[in-house]
Amino acid sequence: MKKFSNLLIKEIRELINKQLIFSLIFTLFIFYFIGQMTRVEAKRAETSRRLGVLDLDRSSFSRGLLDNLRLVRFEIDEFETGDKEEALRLARQKNLNFVLVIPPGLGEGVEKLEPREIETYTFLRSFSLGAARYSEIFRVILETANNYLSNEALKRKLPEISPDNLKKPLKSRDFVIVRDKKAEASASAIAAFMYTQSIFVPIILAMILIYSSQMVISAIAMEKQNKTLETLLTVPISRSSIVAAKMLAAGIVGLVSTLIYLAGFRWYMRGFTGDLTQVAGGLAPIIKELGLSLTTSGSLILLISLFLAILCALALATILGVLAEDYRSAQSLIMPLLLLVMIPYFLSIFTDLRALSWPARIVIYAIPFSHPFMTTQNILFHNYRGIAFGIIYMLAVFIVLVIITARIFSTDRVLTMKLRWRRRQLVL
Amino acid sequence: MAVVLEVEGLRKFYGQFEALKGISFEVKEGEIFGLIGPNGAGKTTALRIIATLLTMSGGKVKLLGYDLKQNPEKFRENISYLPEEAGAYRHLTGIDYLRFMARFYDSSSGKTQEFIERAVAIAGLGERLRDKVGTYSKGMVRKLLLARALMTKPVLAILDEPTSGLDVINSLEVREIIKSYAREGLSVLLSSHNMLEVEYLSDRVALIDQGRILAIGTPQELKEKYEAPNLEVVFRRIVQ
Repeated sequence: MKKFSNLLIKEIRELINKQLIFSLIFTLFIFYFIGQMTRVEAKRAETSRRLGVLDLDRSSFSRGLLDNLRLVRFEIDEFETGDKEEALRLARQKNLNFVLVIPPGLGEGVEKLEPREIETYTFLRSFSLGAARYSEIFRVILETANNYLSNEALKRKLPEISPDNLKKPLKSRDFVIVRDKKAEASASAIAAFMYTQSIFVPIILAMILIYSSQMVISAIAMEKQNKTLETLLTVPISRSSIVAAKMLAAGIVGLVSTLIYLAGFRWYMRGFTGDLTQVAGGLAPIIKELGLSLTTSGSLILLISLFLAILCALALATILGVLAEDYRSAQSLIMPLLLLVMIPYFLSIFTDLRALSWPARIVIYAIPFSHPFMTTQNILFHNYRGIAFGIIYMLAVFIVLVIITARIFSTDRVLTMKLRWRRRQLVL
Repeated sequence: MAVVLEVEGLRKFYGQFEALKGISFEVKEGEIFGLIGPNGAGKTTALRIIATLLTMSGGKVKLLGYDLKQNPEKFRENISYLPEEAGAYRHLTGIDYLRFMARFYDSSSGKTQEFIERAVAIAGLGERLRDKVGTYSKGMVRKLLLARALMTKPVLAILDEPTSGLDVINSLEVREIIKSYAREGLSVLLSSHNMLEVEYLSDRVALIDQGRILAIGTPQELKEKYEAPNLEVVFRRIVQ
């Protein structure tokens, strides 16, 4: 144990170098900076929303419409001119992004149910998501106003019928059923919420897998490049301890680095999505009612699944590391592993892995890293067979990889095995 | 003198190529035994097998009576191997490297400090041991590695081209270190293609070429037998 801890500490010290610390701090700073900036900008955009208005109607209705816009925190810059082109020139001069032109006779038209067209002008100065924001907000306001006006008109014409019943004679009550549990909610809202909540799982998983694997491959390649491996293999410590120390050190450093990256990523995401706990407020009781929140045992199963995937990645990375002749070739050897992680990662984000065609499913199921991407859903939908298969399969793959790794490390192959790209052959 | 290492009919194949064709020799306690021969003769392969790095294709190797195939861990406890092209961890200081290596040989005896003190004396690097290995010259790294190999006073020190790539002054220092340690009862198995160096260092030598041992004896015996002024001439006469 003393010898193992000696080796483990050396491996960790080797991995935690200046470059890693700098890269972690830099990434954290960048994530935090972008997140903060986005949040501040969003807040600023919310507090001061200026728009230009050319009111050619000046009826009590148009004044009421502008008052309502002021109520939803629009700062209105009203043009005194009667000319549309002049108003647009002034808006450009004042750097306004959005201009409303209320036509003459709008109020009268509303009274007579003769629609008039309000013109909107958006100065598109960038292609960012926020560039067309005012136009979208105004569209929603206009829709609400239209709804209100048509309801009022209907009430006047057909006082005995509810306008809402008249416009929507068919109505629906949406229920979601998860296994044997039922709750009144929209399926799309639940799915969207669950997606937002679980989007971090594949990101964490992909990051840990790639990060730790790269560390193991590089650690072995560096031992070869610096000619320290031969000496290490002749000291009185078992070969399996050497392999285990390298894998464990990479796992620990990879995990810690990923958690740090993740904290930064959450800061970054909050800039766009806001605090998820606030969003969860309304749906939380329904999620609980449907049994869609992870219990302690569910979290434990997810952790086991993640842990096994990490072990598989580390074992595979160790074999790939042996193939590397030096640090540079180690960087290219990460590619096959990267592909095995990225395929299920992207598929899990864009589609339901279980809904793929049979041949595609066989390929996906054969990749050990696919299973943890499916575990969260399997746990929530009580697909115990899927969970058990994933765990047993990953365990089997890990055992096979460890046997291969141990065999490589206990024979000449640890020194002689290499992949020669130029000749494209595996030399054993 | 008791026999420390016995090598009998040692063979090694790399695929179809037979690198060692059944070599036999033994190393006695306190003896410096030199394997000499040209590049590709099989010296490093033999040393790597005894150092447990490579597996043998045939024959027997015993250290203190322990069989290599059955007890490789006993070999690792009692040997110390200095490869020809060895390096040390560049991110560690010299002293940290020595401490790291010493701990593998000190599972219960608490001798780590003793090992380090001995290594510091052998290496002769003074305050530079507190600097990172990455800042060392090739000669300094070689001295550090030699100190690492000898600090635990192993039963058998296996040194592959110990003065490889060193200048004259550093080579002389390294040779003196090896000689002085053998005087304390340490057995040394070394290889070199520098036959004059081996002649100076070794008590007995084996001349090896194309995987076969051509002759074994003390340098004096071989020179007399082949009427040669030095081992280089002995080797040329045997090969011819």
